[in-house]
Amino acid sequence: MRLARYLGYRLLLAVPVILGIIVLNFFLIHAAPGDAASVLAGESGAATPEYMALLRHKFGLDQPLSTQFAVYLLNMAHLDLGYSFRNDSPVLELILDRLGPTLLLMLTAFVVAVLLGSLLGVLAASGRNGWRDNLISLASLVAYATPGFWLGLMMIVVFAINLAWLPTSGLDTVGADNEGWDEVIDIARHLVMPATALSLFYLALYARVMRASMLEQTGMDYVTTARAKGQTERRIIFGHVLRNALLTVVTMAGVQAGNLIGGSIVVETVFGWPGIGTLAFNALQSRDLNLLLGIFFVSACLVVVVNLIVDLVYVTLDPRIEI
Amino acid sequence: MIDRLHSSTSISRRTALALPLGLAGLSAAPRQAAAEPEPVRGGTMVMIVNPEPSTLAHYAVSAGNIPMIATQVYEGLLTYDWDQKPQPNLAKSWEVSPDGKTITFKLQTGVTFHNGAPFTSADVQYSFMEVLKKVHPTAPVVLAELIAVDTPDAETAVFRLANPAPYMMKAMAARDLPIVCKSVFEGTDPLSNPTANKPIGTGPFKFVSWERGQSLRLDRNEKYWKPGLPYLNRIVARFIPDAGTRSAAMETGEAHFAGYSAVNYADVARMKQNPILDTTTKGYEMTPALSVLELNSHHPHLDKKEVRQAIAYAIDRTFIRDNVMFGYGEPATGPLSRKFVGLYTDQVRRYDVPNRLEIANKLLDDSGLPRGADGSRFELHLEVNSFGEQWLRQAEYLKQALAQIGITVILRSEDTATWLRRAYTDYDYDISEPFLSQGIDPVVGLNRQYLSSQIRKGVTFVNNSFYANPKIDRLLGEGRTEIDPAKRTEIYHKVQQILTEDSPLIWLVDVQYVSIFNRKLHNHTTGPLGTYQAFETAWLEK
Repeated sequence: MRLARYLGYRLLLAVPVILGIIVLNFFLIHAAPGDAASVLAGESGAATPEYMALLRHKFGLDQPLSTQFAVYLLNMAHLDLGYSFRNDSPVLELILDRLGPTLLLMLTAFVVAVLLGSLLGVLAASGRNGWRDNLISLASLVAYATPGFWLGLMMIVVFAINLAWLPTSGLDTVGADNEGWDEVIDIARHLVMPATALSLFYLALYARVMRASMLEQTGMDYVTTARAKGQTERRIIFGHVLRNALLTVVTMAGVQAGNLIGGSIVVETVFGWPGIGTLAFNALQSRDLNLLLGIFFVSACLVVVVNLIVDLVYVTLDPRIEI
Repeated sequence: MIDRLHSSTSISRRTALALPLGLAGLSAAPRQAAAEPEPVRGGTMVMIVNPEPSTLAHYAVSAGNIPMIATQVYEGLLTYDWDQKPQPNLAKSWEVSPDGKTITFKLQTGVTFHNGAPFTSADVQYSFMEVLKKVHPTAPVVLAELIAVDTPDAETAVFRLANPAPYMMKAMAARDLPIVCKSVFEGTDPLSNPTANKPIGTGPFKFVSWERGQSLRLDRNEKYWKPGLPYLNRIVARFIPDAGTRSAAMETGEAHFAGYSAVNYADVARMKQNPILDTTTKGYEMTPALSVLELNSHHPHLDKKEVRQAIAYAIDRTFIRDNVMFGYGEPATGPLSRKFVGLYTDQVRRYDVPNRLEIANKLLDDSGLPRGADGSRFELHLEVNSFGEQWLRQAEYLKQALAQIGITVILRSEDTATWLRRAYTDYDYDISEPFLSQGIDPVVGLNRQYLSSQIRKGVTFVNNSFYANPKIDRLLGEGRTEIDPAKRTEIYHKVQQILTEDSPLIWLVDVQYVSIFNRKLHNHTTGPLGTYQAFETAWLEK
């Protein structure tokens, strides 16, 4: 009951946030020079003024900005994201097509980064200044400093070209018509490299944060108490310290869930992954405003939801925090 | 955020060679090897198309990446042989009247569209008069003279022209003027037809599905009207934004064909070493293009012919060809591509003379533009072409080259929309470095660039240098309607001589694209349109 009320309250708060994002995005985007008609005509290599006027009229670009804004707000009120004239397709359809692959990639990378990162952090902290700690610290430093796109390309060279273990790019093998488990395995094989490339940076980050946080907690009074009670080191680490240390990582993960959407553009590009990132980049390049606004809207909703989930995880981890 | 820092690099790479607006090739009569083995039926051919098209409305948008897919589905009345002579396709024969004003096409019988509708002269009439003439971006030039298409019977289409239009017969392939199905378009606005992204044509392959951001599938048209064709069961077009990954997909054999330099020039040399791959520069004979510099003559110094000539002298085009284009293409000598065999001439003012720097410096000195204390005469801004990183390399070279004659160049890189607005709407530029398709005939490429009537604010890739020369206006007008080949040649030779003298633009490289293919794929390049024509006779070794 209390949870339901809290959720309702948070969702209510999200409304002005998302509304603010919609308004801000609309005017920011319209402040960019150039329009969709000129890009489209530019790609055609040649066009007449009549053709461009025709396009501008069709896109609604010949209307005053205030009218365009009113139409947009009205559509959004009906949750109608509009039509992408450049793609000859409804915006919602375009986004939904891409949302699945994006979520798959993001969530895989996210889960791998948080779990593996935390684990490595714990291992490093428990063997402080030993070979294990040094090895993990060095590896995470290298991973932290490696650009995602370079790592992606190098993985392609090694694992796709030289060893031929994994496919170079894409979501699945096109035209193979796999079904059932074959399709799942096929997608998983395609997912390995992009998910690794996307998660490695965060994995390294979480490992370092987790290590520092673990070391900080080890010096706390409650650890001394636990030790005085005669508990085993293993139980102290996993039963007491880990839980408290995780709070820092969860906070960070919440903030970075938003970054994952943006950071995935590079990885999507390298691996030809059909996600939201490349869609947004293309929409921006071609001034496909309806599509861009639609993507911003969906991303904003995603970030709001992820933050809500993180807050709920918080409560579970630390009973002192109340909703 | 190290990833973030590098994202800009990756982004510029992904837009590399974004727009194959046109190309140029040199050899005129290539042939497949004589000992070609017997074709094998079946198989899925994977081709790389870059960038992914935004729409498949081939009849309304002429972006260079659409026809690689669209010409598998849509067909044209004619096709062309290696000598660029018209050959039958949907039209089995044709006749041009002596005055050049009537063209009678006899159509194939027994042809059906993918939706089952029979193909008749009514479809030809509707395609040309109601769809192409109304919404195709090049129609105001190519179809300007077309008044009506008469349909005396279902197998005859008679084109009536106001004036002779010698270039029109070169535009009858599916790449330029595709035939659409009347029953699908009738009563709709062609710009919002529901088949824009689900094309219905008469071609050898049928559209099946499009997973945006990933791939597009075409399946064999079982009822194709050419007996026994096509050989392939399926064509899959893959869209891979990153140039490095595109190369990798070719090297692993995941993809069989990459046309229009979808693979970066820089990677081609490595591809040639790969035993499963081969390359060809054939199939680009009918898509000539030049990389150029547009000069804004509203700039106080660029309005002087001598200054523009000095810039032309300062640039080593062979260096650009070798280092920016990795050896592909030819140094340009004037406003027309070498691909226009017969019309092209190199008997013009040549800027590639040995003492060119000396001449350039003297021209500037004589124009009253002495070097300052720092060796610089004046400053110019160069708008960097946003369609790929090779253009940034070219811009960097130009900065060095013009410094030699005392012109300080400041590079300005912006995204496509901003660049186009600056160069064609706001005219807030000094030098711009676009890559210009020359179309099927000089009428397309020259007229829009040099006619004074083509100074049109807000229209991209037209006359933005404010060049206005009544002599050129007259000659280009004559070239448009002249049907005598000898007289036409004379007209265009004169045009090239005048333009190279006036130097309103600087012509850099006659661009040559390259295709990479897997050796298992045969018969992929069967005519001068290359990937802009159907893979109906292509086949894959098992």
